[in-house]
Amino acid sequence: MSANAIGVMLVICGAVWGGFLSLLVRAIRSEGNKGGGTPPRR
Amino acid sequence: MSRVETFGSRWGLVLATLGMAVGTGNIWRFPRVAASNGGGAFLVAWVVFLLLWSVPLIIVEFSFGKRSRQGVVGAFAATGGPRLAWMGAWAALCAGLIGAYYSVVSGWCLRYLAAASTGQLAGSGSAEALWNRFNSTPAALGTQLLALGICVGVVWFGVRGIERVAKVLIPTLFVLVLVLALRAVTLPGAERGLAFLFGVEWGRLDDPSIWLQALTQNAWDTGAGWGLIVTYAIYMRSKEDVALNGFLIGFGNNSVSLLAGIMVLCTIFAINPDAQSQIVGAGNEGLTFIWMPELFDTMPGGGFFMVLFFLALSFAAITSLIAMLELATRVLIDLGLPRRRALLWVSGILLVIGVPSALDLSVFSNQDWVWGVGLMLSGLFFALAARAFGLERLRAEVVNGDGCDLRIGRWWVFAVGVLVPIEAVTLIFWWLKDAHDSDPAGWLAPFGRYTVGTVVLQWSIALAALWAANGWLARRSAATQAAKLREDGE
Repeated sequence: MSANAIGVMLVICGAVWGGFLSLLVRAIRSEGNKGGGTPPRR
Repeated sequence: MSRVETFGSRWGLVLATLGMAVGTGNIWRFPRVAASNGGGAFLVAWVVFLLLWSVPLIIVEFSFGKRSRQGVVGAFAATGGPRLAWMGAWAALCAGLIGAYYSVVSGWCLRYLAAASTGQLAGSGSAEALWNRFNSTPAALGTQLLALGICVGVVWFGVRGIERVAKVLIPTLFVLVLVLALRAVTLPGAERGLAFLFGVEWGRLDDPSIWLQALTQNAWDTGAGWGLIVTYAIYMRSKEDVALNGFLIGFGNNSVSLLAGIMVLCTIFAINPDAQSQIVGAGNEGLTFIWMPELFDTMPGGGFFMVLFFLALSFAAITSLIAMLELATRVLIDLGLPRRRALLWVSGILLVIGVPSALDLSVFSNQDWVWGVGLMLSGLFFALAARAFGLERLRAEVVNGDGCDLRIGRWWVFAVGVLVPIEAVTLIFWWLKDAHDSDPAGWLAPFGRYTVGTVVLQWSIALAALWAANGWLARRSAATQAAKLREDGE
């Protein structure tokens, strides 16, 4: 594989998969902050 | 007592919507189109249009559903004004007619899953032999019926049924595609597939057809502008986020496409690099139902991976067909029918309309052509209805309103108000010109398979009927919604 192709692979996969995973983490955190699911213990 | 149906959690909504978005187009079309259009150059354009077509329209759809709590016809009337109900009906018609022939595709996937599981695809030429003796025969009607039956069994139980199925099938689908991609990249010679997919000739970015193919792929395989997301957004919780979920769906869908591209191209280049142009040029059905089984059959452990491949394809097809069935069912519910009666009507109509596509591949191709381009008009209608409501208002009241996890800037207003209409009109003209250029003598033939004439004829009939019914559609949707709100208030 040429350096050109490796560079493009890293950029495209990083943008698409990295973007998806970071959005997923953000959504999980937001859901946690909203307190969805189990009610907090008193 | 309230009868409002909602997803049990954010993850129910996200997984069901991802199930809608990830379909056979991710697995059988994306790798082929990426390989035929310059690999890396195509991918650059494809990521650009994810942000300039898919994500903005997904956000519009979520907003329409969340605000109106009605199916696509009622959502257009409630958001863009009663005069625009016909535009929502157009989106519903396109998605419904695509659902009719997509039930045939889903049936093919199930048939090949059964064949792969029972060893019927072992041996050179067996996949092609199966295709020839099964496709366009009454047996294809049987598998179409089976696929529709499975989906009816899910939609019968409403949003809870859809959520339960999505929570199992979609994570499994992700794992299956990941396993297949990992297997493919570890085959000797797989790096040639990666080099082909990601290699860039920067000069090719000057070629408008690469950009238009990338835009088309985003328009067809993310589900943006189809009305399907509106349908699932009806069942959002009241304080559910819009924009972050919109980005999540767009990036999640394209993540699967990228994995599928790596899986398919690495398998081709590792096993039969000499035939790569022939394989890529074999069309969606040829690649998936003839070449992929042939390639799996010659690789170590190929029988097992072939089953995984058709399982992934079947899951992708079924979860998308469920969404199409729910969209049409929801439109009838909004017009006053109870869910289960509406569902039986819809599934019966889809079955009947799908029969000619099951029995004749030229009808199938014609419907794919006419309503595939119709989806681009549908995307334009979403942008116009959002403009009619007021994009700044929609952004302030819904997108950045209650439950917002990600604030959206004014770029979205520009993308939906200016870019999406330009993109949609350009795409429609480009595809019609392509049809003209491929048959300059017969491009106006109204009964041709891939002509401008057949588009004009079928669109004209549909648009005339929808315009005529506009007032009735708007009044019926509003009356049903008012009755539902009264009932929920009691």
